[in-house]
Amino acid sequence: MPKTAYYIPIGPIHPALKEPIRVEAEVEGEKIVKVDVKRGFAHRGIEYMGMKRNAIQTLYLSERICGICSISHPYAFVITAEKALGIEAPPRAQYIRPIIAELERIHSHLLWLGVIAHEMGFDSLLFWIWKGREKVLDLLELLTGNRINYSVFMIGGVRRDLKESHIKALKDMITYYWEFTEKMKEIILSDPVYKARTRGVAQLSKELALKLNVVGPTARAAGLRMDIRQDMPYDAYADIDVRAVVPQDIVGEARGDAYDITMVRIYEIEQSLDIIEYCVDNLPEGKILAIPNYVALLAKIRRTKGEAIGAHEAPRGEVVHYLKFDGRDGPSVWKVIAPSYNNINSWAPLLLGAEVADIPIVVAYIDPCMCCNDRVALLKTPEGKVLGYEYIHRKAVEKTKRIEREVRK
Amino acid sequence: MNVEQILEKLKESLGDALLSYEIKEYTMGVKRKRTLYEIWAEIDKSAFRKAVETIFDIDYPHLHFITGEDTGGDAIKMIYSFGVYHGRPWGEISITLKFDLPKSELVLPTITDLMIGAETNEREIREMLGVEFEGLKNKRHLFLPDDWPEGKYPWRRDEYGVDDMVKHMHKSVKELRKKGERNA
Repeated sequence: MPKTAYYIPIGPIHPALKEPIRVEAEVEGEKIVKVDVKRGFAHRGIEYMGMKRNAIQTLYLSERICGICSISHPYAFVITAEKALGIEAPPRAQYIRPIIAELERIHSHLLWLGVIAHEMGFDSLLFWIWKGREKVLDLLELLTGNRINYSVFMIGGVRRDLKESHIKALKDMITYYWEFTEKMKEIILSDPVYKARTRGVAQLSKELALKLNVVGPTARAAGLRMDIRQDMPYDAYADIDVRAVVPQDIVGEARGDAYDITMVRIYEIEQSLDIIEYCVDNLPEGKILAIPNYVALLAKIRRTKGEAIGAHEAPRGEVVHYLKFDGRDGPSVWKVIAPSYNNINSWAPLLLGAEVADIPIVVAYIDPCMCCNDRVALLKTPEGKVLGYEYIHRKAVEKTKRIEREVRK
Repeated sequence: MNVEQILEKLKESLGDALLSYEIKEYTMGVKRKRTLYEIWAEIDKSAFRKAVETIFDIDYPHLHFITGEDTGGDAIKMIYSFGVYHGRPWGEISITLKFDLPKSELVLPTITDLMIGAETNEREIREMLGVEFEGLKNKRHLFLPDDWPEGKYPWRRDEYGVDDMVKHMHKSVKELRKKGERNA
């Protein structure tokens, strides 16, 4: 019997997708023979908004680009702005920044591990991993006051210092996650079903990864030793000598499939724990802001004419920012490249020839982030009363204080 | 090749088309301070493809981004940022090419034949600034909807830009509030 081609539209809104994007696949039997990816459903013109605000406002706007890597964009922004303005952050701030950034990497990778388990139907694994992720989210709330959009970075430093109680909590977390990653290796990497479901699926060769310009764990799983923290180090990363985690260093070869990317992410969590431990143990004393007076900082920006390119290795890959200052207190040009911008390029070649059942794995493989959703929450009490900003803020402060009390015990 | 040798190779290959250049140095690190290098080159538009091929000769690069700025005059300032020697500790050298593209002839050769991944960047520049890329196969919109009006480009600051955007471009929030234009 001749095979008939069917057209399967997935998205922009679909249960398998966390964010809006459209994948149009043509299938013959179980095989995908043609594929088309359409994006742009969540484009919000943030760069344009940033070009009308001052640099400090733009910094906090950059945090809203992505909810999951909400420290990655401000990190790239502050590095770029400091390069353009000739500001050097104090040593203590240069050590605090990687701590926050690596905590975010742990929570982002755990989120992805839960998602990929869910896409395969292992929901008990999803719940177990996400339960483990709560610890790092609580810690981020303790250090910054927020579970998301931390608002802790500033051009020339950070806005919050680390206290003794924070250091104790960080050390507890390190011990907890060393045990947790060991268990994950046992449960995920040694599981024959997980292996059967991921080995050879979404396989990306090193050559194709290079040509597709992919970044982050997607590139590293394919065997490319690319990592901004290694290639162009900054802050405390420069003291640590970070090395890119690639499968060939762990198991001898890189196949670039969904199993390899899982392995890279689990080992990167361990690498993050090492980085945090080093930063905590070697935390320099001193101030945390190069220019504490924001008015003076804005005045300096107004006096500066210059441009710079800066990058930070976000959990999903490199985030690149370009800034140009020419006499205003904000950037006259601001260009942002997020990792998914490049990584989504790999969907079409990976889906071609794959099976329908592999679509969710291929889609989730790169940890896509479609420019990240607008985050607006309207909460109502059971009586129907809408909870305002003040109430939510008060509740958030209460919760942070409760976590602080628990840590002191 | 170190940063000077890369610059020499660019000079040799581009000749007079290399209008100006600068090596920027950034010191990074707290306890072990080391230097990172960037090359910023202003080139003539006609030598663009040759400059890109020279970079590909040095090392297969990683494309950081392609962007453009409409400064409001007769030309669009294009910026291409590449990174060579990625994957080597402290070794990546960023090469940024800048050139003016006259608005009367907004055409550039594509680099997708050298790097497939550049397609996304070129499609974005095409729809946002109206630059045509010769040889670009997929010319569909990337971020803008399919029914976006023809001849309107959101990043343009002239009559081809979006009216509302042109009206408010370069104004700070303070200025807008002063004039009562709340929905800027």
